[in-house]
Amino acid sequence: MIRLLLPLLLALAFAGPAQAHKLKVFATVEGGEVTGYAFFIGGGRAAGAVWAAKDPAGTALASGTTDGEGRFAFPVPQPPVDATVTVDTREGHVAAATLPAGRFGGAAAAVSPPPVDRPAPAVEAEGEARLAALVEAAVQRQVTPLMERIEQMDSRLRYADILSGIFLILGLAGMALWAKGQRA
Amino acid sequence: MAHIPDGLLSAPVLIGGGLLAAGGVALGLRWLDERMIPRTALLAAAFFAGSLVAVPVGPSSVHLLLAGLMGVMLGPATFLAVLVALLLQTLLFGFGGLTTLGVNTVNIALPGVLCGMALGPVIRSTPRASLRFAAGAAAGALAVLGTGGMVALVLWLSSSDFAPAARVVIATYLPLALVEAFVTGAVVSFLARVQPEALRPVTS
Repeated sequence: MIRLLLPLLLALAFAGPAQAHKLKVFATVEGGEVTGYAFFIGGGRAAGAVWAAKDPAGTALASGTTDGEGRFAFPVPQPPVDATVTVDTREGHVAAATLPAGRFGGAAAAVSPPPVDRPAPAVEAEGEARLAALVEAAVQRQVTPLMERIEQMDSRLRYADILSGIFLILGLAGMALWAKGQRA
Repeated sequence: MAHIPDGLLSAPVLIGGGLLAAGGVALGLRWLDERMIPRTALLAAAFFAGSLVAVPVGPSSVHLLLAGLMGVMLGPATFLAVLVALLLQTLLFGFGGLTTLGVNTVNIALPGVLCGMALGPVIRSTPRASLRFAAGAAAGALAVLGTGGMVALVLWLSSSDFAPAARVVIATYLPLALVEAFVTGAVVSFLARVQPEALRPVTS
């Protein structure tokens, strides 16, 4: 039996450690929108899954279903509050990601409509706010790929972990055999 | 899919699952002897590694469970193999969760053990290879469908928010059940030819 199962086991262990099985949600702020996507660690996006965004009190901010690439998007909450996006594939996979209210600061400025009738000193503040929003957007554009990368690396399967798991099981078997031998 | 994470299930479901799993593991421990220990460990390792290889299907991704095969080859010791493998997956990769360990163990192991009890005698005694393959395939498929049903049941019992949609469950579990049926049938047929003893869980 060992001759049969060991190759099978090895094939499984090395066939696709890049593939795995856990749903995760990536969310970020772009302009006046919260965007992101749900993905399975290592491979595949959760397409057509139900998503909902809620504030800490549990009030719904937005909801919908993810598109073909598992993406979702909704406007930045006004006033800024912590937003938790939950994605549910409707068959037992649920994952959530939370964006703290602080992340919405610059974006909120970008979308706030300019006051219609503003006094003269406000013009300067307006310009500053727009500059801040531009900087925010530029930084966001640069940082997003990095954050995606971090999220993926964070949840990557590692050969070392897989191997240690398998050898822990074999070690347990050895301990059990030894204990049986002692008792007999 | 069968790894339900922390924070989705209600306390009664978690406790019930934990108690059932503890009972199953106690039963499994009584069945362990020198011949069963290496076999249990091998299948636990196969299950551990097998569930790390997931294939995207529709809105989800699926992986082999091997529960039917374990049920036939290990009997009640399946609980033990599944528990150890799930614990390691939780600790090393963050699949599932510690609080849901009991529920997940029962979801995967119980259908497998039942299939092994129901179809095991046929698989062991029949002289016809085609019937053996069919019985093995049925064990594999039914165990997967049983797991799907159990996952849906515990989610539904806990909260209607995350109750799975039957359509999606069928769409994702059916292909998996077919694959498992083929894998289980093939392994069972092969073992019956080269080492029939491996299909017989032994009592101590």
